[in-house]
Parts: sequence; structure tokens; C-alpha cells
Amino acid sequence: MDCNQIRPLIPAHLDGELDVIRDAEVIAHLDRCPTCADAALAHAANRGLIQEKLPRFTAPLELHTDIRAALQAEAKPTAQRQVLPFLTKTLGLAASVAFGVFVGFTWGNSHSHANHLVEEAVTDHIRSLQANHLTDVTSTDQHTVKPWFAGKVDFSPPVIDLAAAGFPLAGGRLEHLDNQPAVALVFHRRQHAINLYIWPVNTAAVSPRHAERNGYHVEAWSLNGFNFLAVSEIPAVELAQFAETFRTSQH
Amino acid sequence: MLPHMDAAYNLARWLLRNEHDARDSVQEAYLRAFRAFTQFRGNDGRAWLLTIVRNVCYSKLRSSRRIAEVEAFNENEHGIVNESAETAERLRREVSSELLASTLADLPEAMLEIIVLHDLEGMSYKDISSVVGIPLGTVMSRLARSRLRLQKELLERLSKESSHGL
Repeated sequence: MDCNQIRPLIPAHLDGELDVIRDAEVIAHLDRCPTCADAALAHAANRGLIQEKLPRFTAPLELHTDIRAALQAEAKPTAQRQVLPFLTKTLGLAASVAFGVFVGFTWGNSHSHANHLVEEAVTDHIRSLQANHLTDVTSTDQHTVKPWFAGKVDFSPPVIDLAAAGFPLAGGRLEHLDNQPAVALVFHRRQHAINLYIWPVNTAAVSPRHAERNGYHVEAWSLNGFNFLAVSEIPAVELAQFAETFRTSQH
Repeated sequence: MLPHMDAAYNLARWLLRNEHDARDSVQEAYLRAFRAFTQFRGNDGRAWLLTIVRNVCYSKLRSSRRIAEVEAFNENEHGIVNESAETAERLRREVSSELLASTLADLPEAMLEIIVLHDLEGMSYKDISSVVGIPLGTVMSRLARSRLRLQKELLERLSKESSHGL
């Protein structure tokens, strides 16, 4: 594909919305076309500006109260006649149950939660590189890094040096991810850093996925009661290899 | 549905640009959603609820002064140039949240809502396509153009600000 065909795809590429084949074509083109690569950087910066600085409004507390009250009032008088005849007839659900179903209905939320988690991890990864605060404990020795976390977090994360596979351990630091304490292990790959975030599965296990944001790749998985999320700017295949190596070394 | 209230309120607050109308519309949307819940066959409650919120907001906009503005959106608007990466990076550093918010608020609803749904709510192109009722390809091109338009406005306002400052 030439520049004219690639250009309109760049934003969708950055948003992780292209199918694998077209995405690969865009990446290949950006590698060899400095003009399009500059356009991609410009898009990424603009997108970053919006996502980092645009304020999100949250519903005022009274609105929650008002709506709950309005819905309950709505559910009562018409319980048998109007409200949810489908559910009440075919499933024999009482109106109060139907109300509960409606109020608690959250499907579709998990997708956005996972997206937020990816955004949060990528932002943190970038910050760790910019602020030169990659490690709180700097050591290539897993037997130094692991005990360092003891007493600082209330869980004991698996710490494994993967130098033999080409991903030497560089250290670790304390983090906060998904509203809970997490640890970040730092690995090196050539001149690049890989942040591996680890936190216990308290509420939700992350579903295995790989994602891409602004040129950063993310691998997430869950194993033995821990959630894992690896972020790096190294190519996706190498990060997948890292994730696989870490997973198999844990056994 | 209640866990989606922040998303509902955020969309309404941006579209209507004031708290009072946003609260009214979200409450109205919840009542409509509750009455229509039996017809809901999808599996994404958030997209479904936001579709209703959006409809309520647009009715409100149409009944007030902004009919023409709401309807008029040229899908083929051209002439927005790509800024260089250098300029985009400078904007990223210099533009404040306040300037960004007030500039977005002045964009047409069609541009504003797509940025809110994607960049604030993290919705996929597919979900946005169902909420806004436009094809997937249009989501892609409209989002890209909306971001560029926002960038262009930001650049103008920023240079105005700095020339006032002299």
C-alpha cells in the first residue's frame, strides 16, 4: 500500500482497531517511510494530549440517589401490568428482581475495564522511563529483589531472572495498578526496558490478551493467583516470547 | 445499569454543556431504559444505555436553539492539515486541561461526542458505531478528523493566548 492508503489507517492503528493483516502493513510502511512515521508520531501526540488532559465528568452523588428513587417508584405501581412483561411472564421474575437485574446489569463493563488497565500500565511504563525511576531496588539477582518486597507489599510475587533467555532482570519497584498495590519487575532487552506488573487476583483475574497503545505492546495473563501485565516498546513477538518464558519458568 | 452512570453523565454533560440539563437527561434516559429493558437483546448494556442518553440529549438540543448546528455535519470536510510531530508534541506539553476542555466544548456535537466516547470512555469503534448509528468506517474517519480539528483549534487559541500575553 502507498502513503495515500496508509495515512487514513494510522489513527485506527494507534487505537488498536485494525485487523492483524492491515495492522502489519501499516507497521511495515511506517518502518520505511519517514513522512508517514512523522504523521503517526503527530497523531500519537495529539491523541495522548486528549486522553491525558481531557477531564471526565462524574455523576453527582445526588443523581445516584435521585435515579434510584425514580426507578423504584417506576417499578412499583405497574409491577404486573407494564413493567417487564417479558421477564415476568416467561421467566416468572418478580418486578423487584427485574429491578435488580436492571440496576446491576454491567455486561460490557469488563471490556472497558481491561482497556483502562492497559492505558494505565502503558502510561506508568512511559512515566517510569521518563522520570528515570525504573527501579527502587536495583539488582540482577532474584534472591535480592524478592526479599526486598517482603514487608512492603502483603503478597510475595514470583521473581525470576530470565537472563538465560535474553531478558536479564534489572530490579523492581513498588507500584499501584487497578486501584491496588502492585510490584513492577524490570527486565532488559537490548537497550529497552520491560515492566512486568504483578498483583494478586483479589477481585478480577485479567483475561489473557495482547494489546498495543502508541507503539507500546502489552501482554496480560493470570496464573497461580496473580495477575501479570508486561509492557514494553520491544516488538510484539519478542514481548510474547518474554511472557511465554516467564510463564513456563514459574513451574 | 447504575455502574454506567458516570459514563452516561459524562456524555450528557459534554453534549449539553451544563450540569442541570445533563442531570435531567440522564434521569430521563434511565427511566426510558428501564421501561424498554425488555426489548434489550444485546450484551453490552453500556452501549445500549448511552444510545438512549444520546437520543435524549439530541432531543433537548433540537428543542432549543441549536437545530441547524446539530443536524449540519459535513462528513467530507477537507482542508485540515496534519501538523508535524514537533508541533503536536509542543501542544501536548503546553495545552492545559482547561483550554482543552473549553476548546472541545466549542466543537460541533458530532465531533465532540466521538472524542468523548472514544478517548474518555474508551469505547471501541464498534460500540461507537452502534451508539451514534454510523458505519464503522465513518467512526474511523470522523474520529480522526475530529481530533485534527481539535488540534487546529488548540493551535489557534494557544497562539492567541501567547500574543495577548505580550
